[in-house]
Amino acid sequence: MANSNLPRRIIKETQRLLSEPAPGISASPSEDNMRYFNVMVLGPTQSPYEGGVFKLELFLPEEYPMAAPKVRFLTKIYHPNIDKLGRICLDILKDKWSPALQIRTVLLSIQALLSAPNPDDPLSENIAKHWKANEVEAVETAKEWTRLYASGA
Amino acid sequence: MDSEDDMHDANDLESLDDDFYSGETGMGSDDGDGDYEFGNNASDDSDDGNLNRQQENYTVLSEDDIRQRQEEDITRISTVLSIERDHACILLRHYKWDVDKVHEAWFANEESVRQTVGLYENPVARTFSRELLCGICFERHPCDRMCAASCGHFFCYSCWRGYVSTSINDGPGCLMLRCPDPPCGAIIGQNMINLLASNEDKEKYSRYILRSYIEDNITSKWCPAPGCEYAVDFVMGSVNFDVSCNCSHNFCWNCTEEAHRPVDCTMVAKWILKNSAESENMNWILANSKPCPKCKRPIEKNQGCMHITCTPPCKFEFCWLCLGAWTDHGERTGGFYACNRYETAKQEGEYDEAERRREMAKNSLERYTHYYERWATNQSSRQKALQDLQNMQNVQLDKLSDTQSQPESQMKFITEAWLQIVECRRVLKWTYAYGYYLPENEHGKRQFFEYLQGEAESGLERLHQCAEKELQTFIDSSGPSKDFNDFRTKLAGLTSVTRNYFENLVRALETGLNDVGESGNQPTCSRSSSIKSGKGKNGKTRTIGGTTSRSLDDGNHSHWSCESCTFANTKSSMVCQVCHRRR
Repeated sequence: MANSNLPRRIIKETQRLLSEPAPGISASPSEDNMRYFNVMVLGPTQSPYEGGVFKLELFLPEEYPMAAPKVRFLTKIYHPNIDKLGRICLDILKDKWSPALQIRTVLLSIQALLSAPNPDDPLSENIAKHWKANEVEAVETAKEWTRLYASGA
Repeated sequence: MDSEDDMHDANDLESLDDDFYSGETGMGSDDGDGDYEFGNNASDDSDDGNLNRQQENYTVLSEDDIRQRQEEDITRISTVLSIERDHACILLRHYKWDVDKVHEAWFANEESVRQTVGLYENPVARTFSRELLCGICFERHPCDRMCAASCGHFFCYSCWRGYVSTSINDGPGCLMLRCPDPPCGAIIGQNMINLLASNEDKEKYSRYILRSYIEDNITSKWCPAPGCEYAVDFVMGSVNFDVSCNCSHNFCWNCTEEAHRPVDCTMVAKWILKNSAESENMNWILANSKPCPKCKRPIEKNQGCMHITCTPPCKFEFCWLCLGAWTDHGERTGGFYACNRYETAKQEGEYDEAERRREMAKNSLERYTHYYERWATNQSSRQKALQDLQNMQNVQLDKLSDTQSQPESQMKFITEAWLQIVECRRVLKWTYAYGYYLPENEHGKRQFFEYLQGEAESGLERLHQCAEKELQTFIDSSGPSKDFNDFRTKLAGLTSVTRNYFENLVRALETGLNDVGESGNQPTCSRSSSIKSGKGKNGKTRTIGGTTSRSLDDGNHSHWSCESCTFANTKSSMVCQVCHRRR
């Protein structure tokens, strides 16, 4: 079974994630695949996502930690750096990945991205345009989407 | 034509003989493939300053040369800065292998250079007394099983190996590999790579370093010919970008397209783009449309009968088959679906390819086609000449030295001639792109250009004729011919004359034919025998080949320059001798 020869690092990371979770973040491995995590991130306060509960999936590829984990939003979200499939534009998930980073640091970075959208480096062209043209209105849409899709019901 | 005579005069000149023989001896001492390059021939110094200029402005580098230069640069930095070679190499890579820039930056602010590059001076001292936690595998290891870059962030060997191997297999980005600790920017150099990587990865890494020396360095580029492993180092600021690689590929160092003097890179890019876009269009238009007999716009017939009405404003009604006016058509000529007139004419052979071409002549694309066809023809002639040259070298020269009982070393002049033919075809080809972009309204320039081009073509034909047909008789002859030495003199002379003509042509076109002014008292083109003026030892003349020389000194005293074609006429004549325009 794949889980039997799981690297010590992954086991240790998992244990720490479960015993000392980061504030506003929970990540638990799936029962049949220890490399697949169900993740929940709370929308940061003072962001348009406040009050929302966002579900993500996180997968540790075979090469992990030499290669970055694969992370994707499952909950619909209105954000210039996240596209409609939930893919995330974040440097540490791509070229800035380092094996000294962890699941925890990745999820904290994603949480920070929710607090500080970056429309200058967009993944979703339309949302980024909206953000730059009329930030107030875009933030309203983001709040609306949070209420509609991420109310945790 | 008097130009003809001039060309033949050349054969009698002793000076050319001298050139030829001095060239011969020099070439004998030259080794191997160097002989087949233009401009790289040290023995040709008797010919023209131009060649020397070409010689100095670039160097072809083999892989060994590259390694040697790279080592030298590293040694220089390492000695002057008193740092390890490994660090010198890192610095050079960061500053794109510019030794001066490294010096400048380092001596201006060593600390800031170290920070940006990631070369830290004070690593954390290693302690062997205790175990450390590896930040990647989360295991504790004794210190002697761990290592760190200059920053002192320790990771275990096994994680380092994984880190380094992943990075090397991701491509040349591994040259900028930094410490795995996220905010730390300490650079990982080759020493550390050699300590950690597999042999295969070490080999890859060192190739990336070698490539970086060429690719990051602004003064060097790889030869773009497929499979060629040479690089060319260029002296920045040189005017002439054409370089000739040891693999015999000639290319423009600036845009890496094939060599294209006298046309500049922008024009080449435009022309190539036009060819790729236009040739497709052109082929389609030729295959699928006919020009309206009246307004010449191309018309595609995609349905319906033979009675065509051109779109407004033309509205001309005609028959698609014979392109005659529809008013001449009707039931008696076959009606809407056939045309008796066309059938009869076709049987009489009127609608042959030439007819079609003549029809197309009025098409708006005709001008482009005109230049493109000639450009493409010269291109294929050049390919053909290259093949002939190879055949000559591999087969014919052998045969010739047998029949004429002369050593092959005495046959260099034939190779020279063929190389010149190849080069001339190349230049001639690009003159057609030049002609296409030469503004229509500059009549003087156009006329002068076409004249020069025509002369170039006939000069080249003469050389080609001599190197092909006349040579053949000597190859086929049964025994040594006493005329062979005369032939040698003639062909060497023609080669030299043609080379001069083309070099001057290139220079004249490169300066935009600026000598051809619209006003009358500009430097003029006079029909003096330039061969005679070129008789001196060095052959350096401001001449356009065998027929025209532009003299700057005689001004407007003894001649007048034709406003239309710029020909310098004698004062006594009232009508231009060339274009018959009145003074």
